[in-house]
Amino acid sequence: MKIGETTTGILIAVRGANVWKQNRNYRYVRLGPFVFHITEENKKEVYSALQRAYFNSPHEHNHQSSPNLLQMPTRIASLLERWLQTMLSKTVSNGLILFDGSLTSGTPDTPTQLMRETLEAARKRHNIVLAFSKMTNLRFNGHLITDIPPGYKPPYLLETAGLKSKPPVVLLGDVYVARLTKGNYAFRLDIDKEVPLGQKIDAAEKLLGNDLFSQSYPETLRLAHILCTFTANEVIAMQHFTTRKHRLRIINRPDMHRLLFGPFGRGEGNS
Amino acid sequence: MKLYKKEGNILQILSFPNETVEKGDYLLIEDADAGKALIAQVIDVQFASIPGILEELLRSLPDGGELVQGEDFDPLEIAPHITYIQDASLIVCKIRATVENESLSPSSSWLPSRSQSTIKKVPIPTLLKLAKIDGKLPIVLGGTKDASLLTIDASSLDGRLNIITGKKETGKSHLSKLLILDMIRYKTTVVVFDLNGEYLSLGMTADGKRNAYHDKIHVLSPSQNFKVALKQVHLHILLEILIHALHLPGTSAREFRRIWQSLKERDNLTLRELGEAIRVWHCNQHVRDALFSRYYALVNSGFFTDNIAEATLLEECLLKAKEQGGAIIINLRNTSPIDRQIVVEYLLGKLVELLTSWRLKAVFLFAEEAHLYLRETYWDDIVTRMRHFGIFTTFITNQPDTIRENIYRQADNIFLFNFTNEHDLEVVSRAARVDAETVKSIARDLPPHHCLVLGKVVKDFPMVAKVKALDVKTMGETRLFFKDTN
Repeated sequence: MKIGETTTGILIAVRGANVWKQNRNYRYVRLGPFVFHITEENKKEVYSALQRAYFNSPHEHNHQSSPNLLQMPTRIASLLERWLQTMLSKTVSNGLILFDGSLTSGTPDTPTQLMRETLEAARKRHNIVLAFSKMTNLRFNGHLITDIPPGYKPPYLLETAGLKSKPPVVLLGDVYVARLTKGNYAFRLDIDKEVPLGQKIDAAEKLLGNDLFSQSYPETLRLAHILCTFTANEVIAMQHFTTRKHRLRIINRPDMHRLLFGPFGRGEGNS
Repeated sequence: MKLYKKEGNILQILSFPNETVEKGDYLLIEDADAGKALIAQVIDVQFASIPGILEELLRSLPDGGELVQGEDFDPLEIAPHITYIQDASLIVCKIRATVENESLSPSSSWLPSRSQSTIKKVPIPTLLKLAKIDGKLPIVLGGTKDASLLTIDASSLDGRLNIITGKKETGKSHLSKLLILDMIRYKTTVVVFDLNGEYLSLGMTADGKRNAYHDKIHVLSPSQNFKVALKQVHLHILLEILIHALHLPGTSAREFRRIWQSLKERDNLTLRELGEAIRVWHCNQHVRDALFSRYYALVNSGFFTDNIAEATLLEECLLKAKEQGGAIIINLRNTSPIDRQIVVEYLLGKLVELLTSWRLKAVFLFAEEAHLYLRETYWDDIVTRMRHFGIFTTFITNQPDTIRENIYRQADNIFLFNFTNEHDLEVVSRAARVDAETVKSIARDLPPHHCLVLGKVVKDFPMVAKVKALDVKTMGETRLFFKDTN
């Protein structure tokens, strides 16, 4: 996230977390926060350096120009997320690996080649990758697939058929609507396409049997989110760190919405 | 430290973990441009309201109340900064004075610069010097937190009404002994109503030897070495005893007055003659019975005697104390409640008599748990009328609600030890010379033997001191069943 502005650029901070359940206890490894000072001058260099460091080899979208300054927080966070996913798929064996998001690739954040390699590495170690999306744009008969009224008693998976993606976007998973507990909440669940149907169902059943679910969402992913999210207190601490350690002066730009529209301006932070 | 807020005479200051400030400390908020500074006392230390702190705490307990175990890889070492921010504190201070051109004024009407002001702790010696708390007759109360001595001036107790209060075993009697001994040192006359025999050994060191004050401590035990002959007693004092301590009805009191005057005219004021006069006096039988029951109460107290030689010690001691200073300890330990009231009524009447005739200059009266022997109407007398005669009282109690509110309002100095009970603190905080927030906040956290000094002795700068040790034999200890086994 963006934690401040300087006269030359922005300060961003990213953090990632892996959560796993072991002997009925949840454990985590949390990486970060990593704080970057991104300017127009260094953004390309920083992004490329991170790509090289994380993935060792350039990928298909490397030829693209680096993202603009405002996109940098999301893009750097995605790099960390992909690296964590890759590392997990190369180190975990016989496990269910839950990703936050979907298995859609071919986007600037998720190169298809990288995602294929990640899924392949996971399969080689007898893992099954399941990805939970909190939000989806996929619609059926004009309705979001997660809004379709339940026809069955949860838990159930509703298979979506005939989904086609527009190139260069590639769906590397089969997409399901997962309603795993009672209640109104359903999520898009992507399961690695290369895994046979029986194993997919088996994986979903094992997940239900081993993880806690509240509002249809697995506890491991919920914890990972909670652990990664920066609180206001941490943002202040990171600002304190950058001003003390790197002598960077954080500036408060006037909020033009507030300035121009007074109480009717929602403020940039809220827009 | 950074100035955050000012509301009335309350300041809020943001402080970081490396700046240690505690309740009772004094801070100087200096605005160099304004050429002024505020002196404020810390009355509370709270956690600063840091945004996101609730989320931070909730995050650490997401698993049904159990801490989620894990590892943090924090290469930039930001965690200490998070802790630093989380542990920031908000210091609530009460403005005590403004310093301008090295002089103090009680004003808090100006606002120092929030961005430019510097905030630092004021060492107690500096504050004492600024407030001119010293004087020619120093009494060292004890040590302050920064290892300096808190010294008050004995003259600041002169003509004053003082209260020493705190819960049991916090050091009230210890402080009153210290004050008594120092007052004797300055040749004052001190009278102590000693309810539990705690002051009997003021003239002895802890190991039982005589100390420097030994010859100046006079212990008077009613009905033993402290007796009174009827001839020495003024009629109005005896009537006070009969009416207030022994509840003699008005009609009977009028008859008693006649009997007394008759005996006095015949110069026959003795116990035996008084009894005989009541027996033969021409009056209603009920009146006679009432007079007889009071007469026997006086006789049975053992406090009255017909032998004049037995009844001279009090006046001797008082006059001796007038010359060289001294304390008259009235030992009320083994005295019944009624007899206690008789003794106190007599003594206060006697003191007023001696002071009115200028045979005594002034008396410092130390009264422990005065509600147990002081009648209702005497409270106002002591703080108003008797003060003008020269009786300057120090009340010592562990039950602050036994002292009336108007006494607190008129108290000049309060020596406050620890109280945890909200009700007790509420009572003490009614004192005029102190603000309720200071009392409630600081007194609650005082360790044993630490005293919050309020009032004129500290020029209205409340200060906490650890009362210094005394080499005096301890008396009045609680008898314990398990003493030998501990």
